Amino acid sequence: MYPRAFSYHRASSLKDAATLLSQLGEGAKLLAGGQSLIPLMKLRFANPVHLVDLNFISGTSYIREQDGAFRFGPLTRHAEIEKSASVARVPILHDCAAGIADVQVRNRGTIGGSLAEADPSGDWATVLLTLSCEVRCAVQSSDRTLKLTEFLKDAFTTALAPDELVSEVIVKVPPENSGGAYIAFKRTAPVYPTASAAVQLTVEGDRCKDITIALGCVGLLPIRAREGEAALRGQQITPKLIASAADAARAAADPQSDMRGSADYKRQLVGALVKRATEAALRRARGQQVEVSHIYA
Amino acid sequence: MGSDGAGWVGKGLARKEDNRLLRGRGKFIDDIRLHDMLYLKFVRSPYAHARVTSLDTAAAEALPGVICTLTGAEIAHQTNPFIEIGPDPFARIAELVQVDYESLEVVVDGEEALKASVLLHEEAGTNRVWRGTFEYGDIEKAFREAAHIVRIDKMHFHRFSSTPLENNAVIGQWDAKDEHIYYWCNNSFPSFAMQFIAAHLGTPIDRIRVQTFDIGGSFGIKITSYPQMSVCALASKKAGGRPVKWIETRSEHNVSSAHGNERTFRDTRVALDKDGVIMAIDSRHIDDCGAYPRYEPLGCVIWAQVFPGVYRFRNARIDFSQAVTNKCPVGPNRGYSRMQHLWFLERVVDICAHQLGIPPDEMRLRNYIRPEEFPYTTPNGCVYDSGNYPKMLQVAKERIDWEDWKKKQAMARAEGRWLGIGIGTTLDSGTNNFGQSQIVNPHAPFSGNSQGANCKLDIYGEVVVAVGSCPQGQGHETTAAQVVADVLNIHPDMVTVRTGFDTERNVHTGASGTYASQFAVSGLSAVHGAARKLKSEMKQLAAFLLKTGEENLEFGMGQQGPQIRAKDTGSSVNYWQLANVVNVNSAVLPEELYELTLNCRYVWRAPFKVPDKEKKYGSLTLTYASQLHIAVVEIDRDTFIPHILEYVAVDDCGKVINPPIVEGQVYGATAHGIGAALMERCVYDAVGNMLTATFSDYTPITAVNIPNVRYAHMETPSPHSYNGAKGMGEGGAAPIHTISAALQDALFSSGIVVSDSFNNADTLYRAMVAKDIYQAGDLVKMEKRA
Repeated sequence: MYPRAFSYHRASSLKDAATLLSQLGEGAKLLAGGQSLIPLMKLRFANPVHLVDLNFISGTSYIREQDGAFRFGPLTRHAEIEKSASVARVPILHDCAAGIADVQVRNRGTIGGSLAEADPSGDWATVLLTLSCEVRCAVQSSDRTLKLTEFLKDAFTTALAPDELVSEVIVKVPPENSGGAYIAFKRTAPVYPTASAAVQLTVEGDRCKDITIALGCVGLLPIRAREGEAALRGQQITPKLIASAADAARAAADPQSDMRGSADYKRQLVGALVKRATEAALRRARGQQVEVSHIYA
Repeated sequence: MGSDGAGWVGKGLARKEDNRLLRGRGKFIDDIRLHDMLYLKFVRSPYAHARVTSLDTAAAEALPGVICTLTGAEIAHQTNPFIEIGPDPFARIAELVQVDYESLEVVVDGEEALKASVLLHEEAGTNRVWRGTFEYGDIEKAFREAAHIVRIDKMHFHRFSSTPLENNAVIGQWDAKDEHIYYWCNNSFPSFAMQFIAAHLGTPIDRIRVQTFDIGGSFGIKITSYPQMSVCALASKKAGGRPVKWIETRSEHNVSSAHGNERTFRDTRVALDKDGVIMAIDSRHIDDCGAYPRYEPLGCVIWAQVFPGVYRFRNARIDFSQAVTNKCPVGPNRGYSRMQHLWFLERVVDICAHQLGIPPDEMRLRNYIRPEEFPYTTPNGCVYDSGNYPKMLQVAKERIDWEDWKKKQAMARAEGRWLGIGIGTTLDSGTNNFGQSQIVNPHAPFSGNSQGANCKLDIYGEVVVAVGSCPQGQGHETTAAQVVADVLNIHPDMVTVRTGFDTERNVHTGASGTYASQFAVSGLSAVHGAARKLKSEMKQLAAFLLKTGEENLEFGMGQQGPQIRAKDTGSSVNYWQLANVVNVNSAVLPEELYELTLNCRYVWRAPFKVPDKEKKYGSLTLTYASQLHIAVVEIDRDTFIPHILEYVAVDDCGKVINPPIVEGQVYGATAHGIGAALMERCVYDAVGNMLTATFSDYTPITAVNIPNVRYAHMETPSPHSYNGAKGMGEGGAAPIHTISAALQDALFSSGIVVSDSFNNADTLYRAMVAKDIYQAGDLVKMEKRA
């Protein structure tokens, strides 16, 4: 189907885009990679009056490493992150970028767009919740930096004001003795996961110094499984402890039944994914090369 | 059959059409843009069951670019009520059409529909489309004498679709200048659609020209005579004769084209002797055909083509009903109406085997029709042409290393893993007898089956073949060329095959199209007949021109291309000279050769009789290809995701015309079946909203989901076709029952009976943890007599 009629605006800079947003009002939508917006427009679920295209602004797609953090331009494509050698040092980021949908989506979709969309099934928010992540948000004349947890408000809702946009995503590089993994169950490559689990784990000797566990697609926002983390933090890691962390994660999930699976099943699944992601994260934290991929039906 | 045989048939010739198709040079309906062409958009009801109370098209008609609207009332006024037309797809143009609806009570379950107080079609007075009992042998005696009786309360075959890459598409033009209706479409049974459209629109059938081009998959879904074809013509008429294009969107296709038949199997009783040999089956089947019987109720009898499946039992009674529900109408779908029944039989065999403690392979060997019994007449009068099911099982077991897997399975089970090995034996009945339609409607004017072809030497001597088929990837251009090349002893590259259907080629019969696994039989028999007719004319002409007897002539290649040579004199004549004499240099012809045209039409007819309508007895299909699949499936104990560890597909479609084409068909059918078994289903909520209307929810199978399939083939030539070939392509949806069997094998010791054809991690979790489905105690009862 074709979208409803709309006016098209090509922004020349992020500032120009913010200006357009404030001038055009609520009927305006930003177009980044368009991998969520365009299908919604074609189905006429989204009917923007104005479309402000960010794709012709130079200098918005980059991966810079400075002061112990990665800085991602808002229009950095998933595929660029997937291919980045420096990002590969933080395997959980690579797991995420490489596992999003299919090649076509990864070539177009952007990290900034994904976070701004705040789809409860999106991959980036879940993964970045396990790391230290900040989102820079800009209006015409100023900008502010929010922690990811402050940025994400609800399903499809962020802290962005109507004339504000994401201008950069900043992710702190975890320490040397830290490793992470992100595993989702997806029925096919292009669809959203049924459930996903991201785990970032820092070791000290044979103990777990710190751990963050985030669950995707099982709530209105990505969920931190704090009791699961507590089960492992400071402990010597054993399969039994991992199992109890997975059980705690299961309890933290708040899934809904839909065509991807029943709520009960998703709770079962997310526990299994936490277990696998934790095992992979642990091996990576210990310096092993571990290939991780999503599970497909 | 004479001197055929340069040996092209049977060779793995690369497909002639691939150069075009793989380089993006195919010609599909949406590639066609005609002068002044308009576009049609359907307004769809947001309700599954509603009455249109008012309709206002003024705002839509005021929209710039809108030429006209067409309402249900206008359509009803201009058409003959020959076809049942529902109101809901016939409310027109986009969002500006103001429609008020009075929503009505909804029925989404076939069994419920038969009991429901609400009527979907009030004029019909019932939600039951058809009911009939198929009874053969002596049921009561068999149950009296049985050593074991197994009862299965309820089983269910789910609704899914084969999701062709290209949706339905049609351009219709009602041209007042020559009083013709022109169609450019991707319907895969156009000769049938025309018969309905002509009657529907009150137009002489000769004034309807239908053309098809490349078609992006059908799998049966495009053989339905969609009412949208008539609507395009009427819209064109109203728009002053401008061509009107309708390209169905994916969402429209998913909610309103055709899904496969959904079927519930109730109160099944199976009588077995002490060795597990099935003596009788008694069961009640309820088919859900969706909102309108469109191609239906033909599915109420199509399954009877494989009434006993591959098994020897002679006593059976199936009480078959079909109901309407407020869901998308069903239509033929790769394995049409037989896959449901074959799945039912395979579930019965596996469940009985488990109940009796007989291994599933052994159970099958005790019940298979034996190789020496072919041709085998089934209890309902079908004649299975050939086959060797025990050997197929043996080949499949060897290919998958059965003994090794049995050992691995024992080890896995000792570790508490859920690993199952499942066998599925399947029939793909091909070349149907349309006379079976008279079993559901004694007045149906259809029986037998036929296909037409034309083979000619064109004026410059080109060999050109046209067939009444409309391929959707089956390689007809290649296999037809192989057949003609063998008849004339030339290279297939020298044979031009006109692809697609065109009424004005005048080769079609009323049964022409591409459906029901039959081209290798009906299509190639027609091509072969036409080529032999041409060859016979060429011989007569060459004998005259070379002044020799026909017995001295030799077909082959010469210095100037294809030629006919006189063995006695050594002189020869090429194809151009032959065509020249007949077409543009005819004064050299003696009067007795005036009847030669070198333009030979041949119609092949399947040797069928009209079945006995009362007894529901007779030959319903000509050939029976068979498939034996084995799957090894492990269900992950943490995630409950079923993973296929090994898969083998053995196929026997008689004499193979082109091995890679057959192999490709087997892979495609296997992928479709695996998708249906584990991923794809059409789900509706209680008020009739389709919850799987997008591919994100429906998840058609993709490359990442398909296991490495080991393929093997066998050839038991058919005595029913000139070339020993059997129709193939549908594959009987073999993976659906094979995977059900493997899951059953993995979980049987946990008290699970797989009673639904659709399974995924979620349903297996429910069965094993929530225990609200599949509990053996609720589903299966066994009575031991001996």
